[in-house]
Amino acid sequence: MSALSLLLLSVLLLSYSVRSRPYRDPLAGAVLVGFSPLLGAAQWVSRSVSDAWYGYLFLVGAQRENLHLRSRVATLEAEMVRLAELEQSNRRLAELLRFRALVDGPVRGARVVGRDPLALFRSFVIDLGRPDDMRPGLAVVAPGGVVGRVTDVSGVASRVMLLTDNDSGIDAIVQRSRAPGIVQGARDGGCQMNYLERDVDVVAGDRVVTSGLDGIFPKGLLIGTIAEIALEHRGLLLSARLVPSVDLDELEEVLVVDATVGFDEPPS
Amino acid sequence: MRAVVVIGLVACVGLLLQSTLLHDLAPIAIVPDILLVLCVYLGLNHHSIGGALGTFLLGYFQDSASGSPTGLNACGMLIVFVIVYLTCRRLWVDNVVSKLVLVFLASLVKTTTVIVLLALVVSSGSAVSSIPAHVLAQSALTSLVAPPVFWLLANTGIRSNRESE
Repeated sequence: MSALSLLLLSVLLLSYSVRSRPYRDPLAGAVLVGFSPLLGAAQWVSRSVSDAWYGYLFLVGAQRENLHLRSRVATLEAEMVRLAELEQSNRRLAELLRFRALVDGPVRGARVVGRDPLALFRSFVIDLGRPDDMRPGLAVVAPGGVVGRVTDVSGVASRVMLLTDNDSGIDAIVQRSRAPGIVQGARDGGCQMNYLERDVDVVAGDRVVTSGLDGIFPKGLLIGTIAEIALEHRGLLLSARLVPSVDLDELEEVLVVDATVGFDEPPS
Repeated sequence: MRAVVVIGLVACVGLLLQSTLLHDLAPIAIVPDILLVLCVYLGLNHHSIGGALGTFLLGYFQDSASGSPTGLNACGMLIVFVIVYLTCRRLWVDNVVSKLVLVFLASLVKTTTVIVLLALVVSSGSAVSSIPAHVLAQSALTSLVAPPVFWLLANTGIRSNRESE
């Protein structure tokens, strides 16, 4: 009965408060006024806790995002290195292709896959073997000029003796004066042109090219540039120190050329 | 007297919580109705004019603090109080699960009452149409809050009318 009376009272209050403005009920207004400081304090606590909580969540999110971005940067840097490598490789191969167009006959591209770690022999290994019709004596060249020749062939790879090796010998001529000589490896790791006659017209800066007479290298292939001339064999012959036209330590791709092909001599 | 003080304190804390803290911290825009849990508690344990008056005051304070028309929540609370009182006279409501279900249903009843009263008295149709989507979620949340509140009240040494009887 008491509950029903209170229910009726609440309906009457509701009806009254809807017809008039909210909080016209003086008791309700007093309750609100009395409660306001508590609500304000609770609101302040609530806001502080909320700000701290969401601030923490934000930091956690920022840390997660930071880790993700670091990982992304590492991935992109690796990708950048890969693309730079591809670009360099592409440039070298394009140069090799242009050079290949100058050579008639069978020419094969090869990759340098190994070098002599002790440097006792000036040589490296390329990734062509017997199944690729490789055989000893084939000329190995690069866009810059002569590299060396094939000496050993196996099933999957071949060894190339560089023109700077002590055992190497290439029949050559001075491009300007056509003076003949033999380019051989020197003890200091470079190479020199020997057996030049004493009275030939040779000066430093002259370019030396292959003569094509040794049956290994095509004629007219650049070997290097004369850096210095000296008398040898008791003054009967001249010897010239050469700077190879190819940086043999930096080679990554080469061309293997058959000895029988012709080669257009580069312009002087 | 002890019961009045304890329930009054719990009501104040509950009102503050559901008016401020839970609103700010809840990830969803739904907060449990702690005062309704108190109302169910009164309906279960205090079958007297004091229980009914306490229920009315709970709704009245809620109306005063929340800015809703005075009498809206008071009316809803009293209807819940009467239904809970009638229910517990006929059904055995003494374990946690039955109390959970009762609070859930009580929350549905109160929300429905408020919606009906709003529709009848205030005629705010747009507000009424957006309420049902939240009703079930809020009722479930309120029923989840009920066990700790009941436990708190049971451990404060309040002697209920049912125990007196």
